[in-house]
Amino acid sequence: MRWVFVPLGMLFGFLLSRAGATTYDYYAKLFLFEDFQLLWVILTAAAVGMVGIALVARLRTRALLGGGIDLRKKPYTRSLIVGSLIFGIGWGLAGACPGTALAMLGEGKLGAAFSIAGLLCGTYLFGRRAGAQPTDISRVDR
Amino acid sequence: MTEVVVIDAWLGGLAIGLYGVAQLLLTGKQLGVSSGYGSICALGSRADYFRSGSHAVRNDWRLYFLLGIPLGGLLAALTSEGPIVASLSLGPLYDRVFPQALWAKAALLFAGGTAMGYGSRLAGGCTSGHVITGVALLNWPSMVAGGCFFLGGIAAVQLLFRALG
Repeated sequence: MRWVFVPLGMLFGFLLSRAGATTYDYYAKLFLFEDFQLLWVILTAAAVGMVGIALVARLRTRALLGGGIDLRKKPYTRSLIVGSLIFGIGWGLAGACPGTALAMLGEGKLGAAFSIAGLLCGTYLFGRRAGAQPTDISRVDR
Repeated sequence: MTEVVVIDAWLGGLAIGLYGVAQLLLTGKQLGVSSGYGSICALGSRADYFRSGSHAVRNDWRLYFLLGIPLGGLLAALTSEGPIVASLSLGPLYDRVFPQALWAKAALLFAGGTAMGYGSRLAGGCTSGHVITGVALLNWPSMVAGGCFFLGGIAAVQLLFRALG
C-alpha cells in the first residue's frame, strides 16, 4: 500500500505547483498583504475538505485500500503556540512550506534544497531533545 | 527560474481540498507533510523520538509520499510552457532583499527550514496537517496553530522587507 503514496505525492506536488504554492513571490506578497492567492487556496482547500471529510465520516466506511480512516484531531499542547510562531517565521523566511519546498526542488528551484536540509536539521534537533512519543502517534482520539 | 502555470486560487484550493479528501478515503491517512521529515530522520537516528509514535513503523507511507512530491513539481514544470531552468533565484521579490552571496543566501534558507522543522514538531503539524486537514476537521487547536503560522510569517517577511528592502 505504501507505494501508492508515490503517485499520490506526485499529484499533490503537481497541484501545489498549479495553485501557485511553489512560487516564492506569492509568499512575500501574502505576508506583505499585496496578493492573497495562497490565502484563498488554503481557505478554499480547508472549506472543501470540511465538507468532504464530514461526508467521509458519515459513510462509516473503511479506507478503500484497506484499514481504518484516521479522523483523529491534533491535540492542543503547551508548545503549540510557540512552535507555530517559530514555524511561521521559517515559512516567511524560506518562502516555502515543508510540502512546497519538495515540489520546488522538482521544478529546479534549487534554493529549496537548503530549506529542505534545514527542515531535516530542525526535525532532527527536536527529535534528539524530545523523549519517546506517546504510542498513539502523539494525537488523541476524540 | 522555471515559470510554472498558476491557476485561479479557488480552483487550486478546490483541487487540493479534494485531493486531501480523496487521500483520506483511499488510504485512511490524513494529508500532512512535516512528520515525513521525521520519517527521513528515523532512517539515520536511534533517538527514541524517531523510534516511537508516528515513527514506530519503519519506512512508513510518509517516506513514499515525500518521494512523490518532487516528481509532481517536475511534472508541473514539464507541463508548463517554458523550459525547466535549474536556478538559485528566489524570484524578483525575495531576490531583492536576500543577500547575493551564495553562502549567506543558503544560510538564511537553511535557517528558515530549521525553524519550520523544529517549529512544526513543537506545534504538531505544518500548513497541510494543521491548516488544511486540521481546519477541515474543525479542530480548534489547528485553527490556533494556523493563525500563529500567519503571524510568524507576517513578522518575518515584514521585517525582512522593511529592514533590507
